[in-house]
Amino acid sequence: MTLNQALALVKSGKERGAEKKAHYLVSGFEPLHLKTFIQAHFLQRLPENDIDILNGLYGDFSGNLALAAQSSALGAVAVLEGSDIDPRLGLRSSGGWAEEIKPDILSGADQRLARIERSVAEVARKMPVVFVAPCLPMLPLGNTIRSQSSVMELEIEQRIGSFLLRISRLPGVRIVDRSRLGRIPVEDRLDVRFELLAGFPYTVPFADLMAGAVTEVLYPCPPKKGLITDLDDTLWAGIVGEIGADKVSWQQESHSQAHGLYQQMLGHLASCGVLLAVCSKNEMAAAEAGLSRQDLFLKKESFFPVCANWGPKSLSVGIILRTWNIGEEAVVFVDDSPMELEEVKSAFPGIECREFPRKDPSKLWNLLGELRDLFGKPVIMAEDGLRQTSIRASAMIQEAGESAESSEFLLSLGATVSLDWRLDPSDKRPLELINKTNQFNLNGRRITEGEWQRRIDQPDSVLAVVSYADRFGPLGKVAVVLGRKLGTTVRVAQWVMSCRAFSRRLEHQTLESLFRETSAEALEFDFEPTGKNNPLQEFFRSVGIGADADGTYRISRADFAAQAMVLPHRVIDLRK
Amino acid sequence: MNRIDERVTRCFSNVFPDLPEREIPKASTASLAAWDSVAHVTLLSSIAEEFGLTFELEDYEELVSWPLIVDCIENRTGNA
Repeated sequence: MTLNQALALVKSGKERGAEKKAHYLVSGFEPLHLKTFIQAHFLQRLPENDIDILNGLYGDFSGNLALAAQSSALGAVAVLEGSDIDPRLGLRSSGGWAEEIKPDILSGADQRLARIERSVAEVARKMPVVFVAPCLPMLPLGNTIRSQSSVMELEIEQRIGSFLLRISRLPGVRIVDRSRLGRIPVEDRLDVRFELLAGFPYTVPFADLMAGAVTEVLYPCPPKKGLITDLDDTLWAGIVGEIGADKVSWQQESHSQAHGLYQQMLGHLASCGVLLAVCSKNEMAAAEAGLSRQDLFLKKESFFPVCANWGPKSLSVGIILRTWNIGEEAVVFVDDSPMELEEVKSAFPGIECREFPRKDPSKLWNLLGELRDLFGKPVIMAEDGLRQTSIRASAMIQEAGESAESSEFLLSLGATVSLDWRLDPSDKRPLELINKTNQFNLNGRRITEGEWQRRIDQPDSVLAVVSYADRFGPLGKVAVVLGRKLGTTVRVAQWVMSCRAFSRRLEHQTLESLFRETSAEALEFDFEPTGKNNPLQEFFRSVGIGADADGTYRISRADFAAQAMVLPHRVIDLRK
Repeated sequence: MNRIDERVTRCFSNVFPDLPEREIPKASTASLAAWDSVAHVTLLSSIAEEFGLTFELEDYEELVSWPLIVDCIENRTGNA
């Protein structure tokens, strides 16, 4: 993006007249073009809003963090440079670079970084913080030539590294990986003319690159949930149906290490909670034999379901999507055959299709990096580790057919439902559920981390985070209701439930518990049809929730009680 | 308006979105409150990018109105 494109975007955002979402840019330098670029990138990422970027005073990084903490911003971007650690490390200082002042710079750096750490923690309690560590070249004050690191440079780098590690462990803090900014070499980042003229240290292209990276980290694309892989010449080298399970390979000594690297990547993704499935044109017996090899880099059980047959791959992909009960837009399909990729893409345009580059290691490297980006998320939660087990359990329940809907069957599950009524801003799972659930979703509205923190801070907020477990195992936190108690009514603004929790009467239990816990006489819902939320609409119809004369979706305590069903759960309430 | 005028005006319009287009040719640091030091650096950076020019430190002191900026660009690009 050029500066003029960014300025035009900012202007168009202002003309849109939409709701302004304020963010705080914390820096010790004059934010100038970085502010413009961040505003423009945020506008691209959040096109329905206008974006306001607040900033503080020149030369006061810590003070500006304190101002951010007091502001109404929904998120903060903090960009640290050497001069914030010690002014003598900046170009606008005249403090001298003599050898004897270096110990003083280092001891001062420890104190300043400790103070910044405390301030970052304070901001992160209020809003998400994206932190960018120093990106500019150090002053040329080493005794060594530039190709040799000086002790002073290493001392400062060590302090910065240790500081970043500490703040990366603070809830709500995300660190921009500086190596991702390497597209612009260090020597092309500093604009000495602008630093001296205006106190802004970056070249225009580098300001744009940094703003793009900050935007990706603060507002990442929703991560994909599942990966469907081919077997022959993808998960392993060779055609298992022709050469046999003992002859397919994925090792360095067989010159098929690319497949071994891919397997290790899939194993890693599975350990992070990504669903894996197989879609292969093969006899099932041959596929099973290959997947049963003990030296495979991931367990056979990591794949569910395994579809091996001679039909079109799009049919198998359809079966997998139904088993997972997730939308095509949340799935990646990897195959070595462009023809198969095309066939699947034509049936499921929303699927991300990637060719397995079995003959080009450099393309494989790119594929592995892409998979990290497609599935990456800021934190791994307990529910991520439960997802595959619970989908297997759901499949077993579905196999039970219509009887799975019966009260007898549900009672036999021995289910426990926990409702957590505590307003805990450090729990990020409810926000994750709200922002990725499509089917059982009251209105499809997504909210930012900052908005979430703001809402649960309201004194009349009502929040229920619903967890479920039965004899097939725990599903973890699978539903969230967020609303406000207004007199004798609870107005529900957000209600989502994971598709893994369908068919367990959890939605009935949630409303029953909401009436009980809040003593409300009626519930009102900010309902909107989204084109994807049919399961919620069907539930509304089944219990008689509909629009009244003024268009409000409402149900009274008495009307809900009249619809009462057997609720086969033991209920645990968690309160402060 | 010639082509240079239009391009300079577009840069002004992006940096000062509240300034009506008809007012832009009369704009100067003295007449426009929004034209502060940050806006000045942003405006000249925008114009430098638009025309592929580099402004020196003294240019920042001298280019304080729309006519002065247009004259400067016409002189530097030979499009007077």
